[in-house]
Amino acid sequence: MPQTPVFAVVGHPNKGKSSIVATLSQNDAIAIALEPGTTRKRQDYPLSVDGHVVYTLVDTPGFQRPRRVLEWLEAHSVSASDRADTVSAFVNQFSDDPRFKDECQLLAPLAEGAGIIYVVDGSIPYSPQHEAEMTILRWTGQPSLALINSIGPEDFSDTWERALGQFFQVVRRFDAVRAPFDQHLSLLKTFGQLEPAWEEPLSEATRYLSEQRIQRRRETASLIADTLERMMSFREKRTLTLQQTAEISDQTLAEQLRDQWYKNQRKKEEHLRIAIERLYQHNRIQRQEAELAWHSEHDLFSERSRSAWGVDRRYLATAGFGAGAVSGAGIDAVTLGHSLGTGALIGGLVGAAGSYFYGDRLTLPVLNTGILKDGLRTATFGPVQDSQFGYVVLGRAINHWWHVSQRNHAGRDLLDLAPADDHWLEYLDRSHRRDIHRMLDRCRKKRSIDDQTRQDFVAAIGAAMDAFDQWRLNQT
Amino acid sequence: MADSRLRRLLAFDRQVRRDRAQSPVFLHRRDRRFALDCQDRNQAPSIDRWLAHLARVGGLDDTGDIKAQSQVLSGWHRLMLAFTLVGLIAGALAMAGLLYYEGGQRINLTALLAFAALQTLLALITIVQSAVEWQPWRPLLRRFMPGVSDSALRPLMPALMARIAHAGGVCFGLAGVATLLVLVVIQDLAFGWSTTLSTGAEGYHRLLAALAWPWQHLWPAAVPELSLVEATRFFRAESTDAQTAPERWGQWWPFVMMVWLVYVVFPRLVGLALAQWQIHRGARRALAGHPGMIALEYRMETPTVDTGNEHNDAADSPDVQTAAQCRDLPDSQILICWSGAGDPELPDSLTASHLLTESAGGQRSLEDDLHTIERCGELLAKQSKPAVTLVTRAWEPPIAELADFIEQARQRWPKKTRVALLPLATAPTLAASPSQLAQWLRFADRLKDDRVFISQPEGMN
Repeated sequence: MPQTPVFAVVGHPNKGKSSIVATLSQNDAIAIALEPGTTRKRQDYPLSVDGHVVYTLVDTPGFQRPRRVLEWLEAHSVSASDRADTVSAFVNQFSDDPRFKDECQLLAPLAEGAGIIYVVDGSIPYSPQHEAEMTILRWTGQPSLALINSIGPEDFSDTWERALGQFFQVVRRFDAVRAPFDQHLSLLKTFGQLEPAWEEPLSEATRYLSEQRIQRRRETASLIADTLERMMSFREKRTLTLQQTAEISDQTLAEQLRDQWYKNQRKKEEHLRIAIERLYQHNRIQRQEAELAWHSEHDLFSERSRSAWGVDRRYLATAGFGAGAVSGAGIDAVTLGHSLGTGALIGGLVGAAGSYFYGDRLTLPVLNTGILKDGLRTATFGPVQDSQFGYVVLGRAINHWWHVSQRNHAGRDLLDLAPADDHWLEYLDRSHRRDIHRMLDRCRKKRSIDDQTRQDFVAAIGAAMDAFDQWRLNQT
Repeated sequence: MADSRLRRLLAFDRQVRRDRAQSPVFLHRRDRRFALDCQDRNQAPSIDRWLAHLARVGGLDDTGDIKAQSQVLSGWHRLMLAFTLVGLIAGALAMAGLLYYEGGQRINLTALLAFAALQTLLALITIVQSAVEWQPWRPLLRRFMPGVSDSALRPLMPALMARIAHAGGVCFGLAGVATLLVLVVIQDLAFGWSTTLSTGAEGYHRLLAALAWPWQHLWPAAVPELSLVEATRFFRAESTDAQTAPERWGQWWPFVMMVWLVYVVFPRLVGLALAQWQIHRGARRALAGHPGMIALEYRMETPTVDTGNEHNDAADSPDVQTAAQCRDLPDSQILICWSGAGDPELPDSLTASHLLTESAGGQRSLEDDLHTIERCGELLAKQSKPAVTLVTRAWEPPIAELADFIEQARQRWPKKTRVALLPLATAPTLAASPSQLAQWLRFADRLKDDRVFISQPEGMN
C-alpha cells in the first residue's frame, strides 16, 4: 500500500474519467473529447500541500481488450488468493506489448496499490456487457468505488447504482461538470473511507481545499475592490501644445479622450476577469459577455447595463443617507456632541437627496481643459461623475466571479455572463451598502482613502458577494 | 530609530504596490516558501528578513527602492531643516528684540514672561493638535509636497508635522538662550519689572517664585529674592532711579535664562519626544494595520495547496475530423449483435430480413466469438454477394476488441464480404446522434478496409 493514497480513475473509454480528474484536480487543460483513446497513458495529478503530496489521482486510458485480459488472467490463476499477483504478472508481461498498452497503463497503478475509482456514464442505459472489466478490477483486490457520472441528458443512475453495488464497496453519483464544490469535498471524503489509512490524508486535503476556497473568495473581493477604486478614480489625460490646441475643437478632443477613457476602463475590467479566472485556476475559459463596444445595447456603460446592474433611486437614497450621516457626524464630533446629532441628520439628508436626484442618471464624465501654461494645455476626461457606474462594474464583476467560482474544471462550455434581471444588492445590509457608496463617492471625487476605509470596502464587497450568492439561491 | 521604522514602512508599502501586478497564487507560493524556509532555520519571518529575502532572490539592486524611499523622507527632512533654520534665526532675533534697549531703558521682565508663556502655549497647541490628528496645514503640504497624500506615511503626517514644529521650537529656544548669554557677556543688561496694574512687589515676587519652583533647588541663585524684586521695579514716568545700585538690574539674567529654558525649550523638547514616540508607535501600527501586511501574514501562515493542474494536454487532442460518410445498408442475410446491441429490441426493418442472427462481444467469450465467425463464414461462402450487418451501440465508443473481431472475421470470411457497421441509438425508433456516428465513422476510417463501412437503418440516414 503506498504511503500517500493514490486513486486510479478507471473504466470503459469515454465515460468521463478525465472529466472527473479535471474537476477534482481543478485542471481545465485536460483533454476531454468524445473519442476513444483520448487518454493514451496514465497521468498523475498529485494534490500537494506545501509541496507534500497528500493524495494522487491517476487518469488512465479505458479498457480496450478486457475479455482478452480476463482470459489470460483466468488461464494463469489457480485460486482466488493469487488473483492480485496474476494481475501484476500481466502488467509485467505485457508492458511492452502494444496490444495491451492501455490495459497495462490502467492496471499498473492498481498493481502498485492504488484505490479504484471506476467511472460509468449514468446517462446511458446499464448493460452487463462491461462485467469483464469490472471482474478484472475485482481481481486486483484494491479498495474500490464506483462513480456514476452523467454526461448526457438522460438518467439511468438507479439501474447503474444497483448493478455496480455488486462489484464495488461504495457507489456514488457525481456530475463532473455540474457538481457543486461541497460535493467535490464530500467525494474526496468518501475516497478516504475506502481504506482506514486514507481517511486522515483525505480529510486533511478537504480541509485545505475548503480554506483555499475561502481564501480565493477573499482575494476576489480584494481584486474587485482594487479595480473598482481604480476605475472610479480613473482620469484620461492629454497634454496639448499650442498648435494642437488650435487644431482640435473641444468637441473632438472630448470624443477622443472619452473613447480612450472607455478603452482603458474596459481593459481594466478585462484584467479583473482574467485575474479572477486565474485565481480559480480557470485558464481556458471562453467567455461571452455583453459586448464592450460603445454602440452595443449591452455595453458596460449603456442604459441597459445600468438597469441590469445599477441600483434604483430608493437604494441610492438610503445608501446616500448612510454615507452622508457618517460625514455629518464629524460636525457632531467637533462640537463634542453639542450639536445633538444634527450634523449627522443634516449630512444624511443632504447625502440622500443628492443620491436620489442625481444618482439615477448615468452621468458621463466631463471634459476639463486646463489653462495654458508654458505653451502647453492639459485636458482631462473623468473621473466618472456618477456612483451608478461603480454599481454597474461591481454587479458585472460579482456576476462573473459567481459563475467562475461555480464552474467545474471539466466544463468546456462557453461561459455566458447574462445580465441580471433583479436588483440583487437589496440583499446587502445597510452598513455594507453605506461602505460601498461612501467609497465610490470618495473615489470619484478623488479624495484620499485611508487603509481602514479600503479594508471596510473590501469587507463590504465580500458581503456583496454573499448577497449575490443568496440572491442566486433564491432564484433557483 | 523612528526613521528606520519609517523606511521599513515605506519599503514594505512599495513592495506591496509592486506585488499588485502579480497573481495572488504566485504571491501565496512565494511568501509561504519564505515562511517555511524561516521555519527550517528557526527564524521568525520578520518584515526586514522578508524584504531582504526578496531583494536577494530577485537579484535586484535595491538602490532604486532606497532612492524612492529617500525621496519621500527627504521631503520631510528638508522641511525639518527649514524649520530648524527658521527657528534658529527667529529665536536669536526674538531674544535680541526682547533684550533690545538703549542705555536709559530697562528690559521689562513682564514682557519677557508673557512671551515665554506664549511659547509654552504654542508648544501645547502643537502637542494637542498632533494628538487629535488635526492637520490645518494639510492643503499647504499637499501643494508643496505633491504625492504626500498617497504615501504610506499619510497616517503619520500629524506626528511628522508636530516633530518638525517642535524641532523648530527647540532651535528657537536654544538660539534665544545663546543670544541671551552672548548679550549678557558683551552688554550690560538692565532688567526690571513694570506693570500698569497696581501690583505690589510681594505679589510679583510670589508669581516669580512660583515660576521658579522647578529650579529652586537646582540653581537657587536663579530664584529672585524679594529685595531684588522691590529694588528693580521701574515706572515709565520716572526719569532716573538713583536708589538702586546699577549692578542690581543685571542680577535678573539667571532667572531669565531659566525661564527661557524651562518654559520655552523644555515644552518643545517634551513635544519633540512625544512626536518621536508617536511616529515610532504610528509606524509600527501603520505597518501592522497595512492591508498588505494582513494579506502577507495570511499568505505566510496558510499552506499552499497545489491541486495538480500543471499537466496540460488540451492541445494533444486527437484529430476528430473525418471525410467518411454513411453508406447504404447492404442486402445481408447475416446480423451480428455486438456487445449487447439490439437488446432489448432491434428496429423492425432489421428483425425480418436476416436468415442468421448471432451475438458477439460483451458477455460472450472469445471462443464464442470465434464460433460465431465460423458459422457466419459458412453461410457467407454460399452467397454471391456476401454481406454482414454488425449491429453496435452507437453510444458505446468502438474499442480494440471490436477491431480484433472484425480482423479475425475478415481473415475467415470470403474476401469480398462487405461488413456494414450499424450503430443503433438507445431506442429503435431513434437515429444515432451525429457525434455518436462520427466516432464510428472515424473507427471505420482507421480500419483502412473499404469493405467495412458505417450504415444506418433504412429511413434514418
